[in-house]
Amino acid sequence: MTGRCGVVVGHGRAAEGLLSALTQVAGEQPNLWAVSNQGRGGDELEAEILRLLDAHCAGRDAYLLSDMDGGSCGQACRRLLAQGRVRAVLFGVNLPLLVEFAFLPELPSDQFVTVAVEKSRKALGAHP
Amino acid sequence: MSVLLFRVDERLIHGQVVVGWARRLRPRRIIVVSDELADDPLEQSIYRTGIPEGIRADFWSEREARAELPAAIDSDEPAFVLTADLGTMSRLAQDGVRIEEINVGGIHRGAGRRRVLPYVSLDADDERLIEELERGGVRVVARDVPTAAAVRLAGRARG
Repeated sequence: MTGRCGVVVGHGRAAEGLLSALTQVAGEQPNLWAVSNQGRGGDELEAEILRLLDAHCAGRDAYLLSDMDGGSCGQACRRLLAQGRVRAVLFGVNLPLLVEFAFLPELPSDQFVTVAVEKSRKALGAHP
Repeated sequence: MSVLLFRVDERLIHGQVVVGWARRLRPRRIIVVSDELADDPLEQSIYRTGIPEGIRADFWSEREARAELPAAIDSDEPAFVLTADLGTMSRLAQDGVRIEEINVGGIHRGAGRRRVLPYVSLDADDERLIEELERGGVRVVARDVPTAAAVRLAGRARG
């Protein structure tokens, strides 16, 4: 299998919940997995992310999508990026970002990141 | 005493610290005591990404902490002091750093550790340190976030 592959990393049930929401609106997601930091130390969290990357993303364009930069989830993602295990880390993941992840065509990594982040930013808003 | 929180948490600077505790207690400084991190600019940069505006961070070796912490404690700048393990915090207390209470926020599973709370697993060394700290007048309580009840760890270690 080729193409994009991603692991959503979040606090509590954030990652699982976001993936559930994406599945509800867009159907089963064969290229995305979820990991929680709950009950896991930093090493355990990194190990679980790596396990999923190795199992599902070998040879593919792998990305990490974290709910927040700076927390334990974001830190684990940054360490794996520094080790060259993924193409990029996207922080502040929301449902619109996951929709883009699922539906954008295959693009070079930098273009994909730019387009996906811009579209998810535009999805934030308030009325009135 | 300007140290608002002495916390043991293997994740050091992370969401519970910068959101849960910092939004409540409003420190202006976070001091991490770790020999490993004091010499690791890459890891420091990763931890700094989580620090809110208006809070500065220092990464001190234990030696630096022994020299600098007394002045930090006597200053009027509210601070958190973080270590990744009980041993480091215990050595600071033994070396004369005034600590009334240690907050244990996260010690997770590992070989030889027994889970006493969902976010606290202790091994025999931790249990011994908790007993020694309590005998020396330092309360050791588990409390991951400020809205949770504090759980005194002495006596809970051995089930």
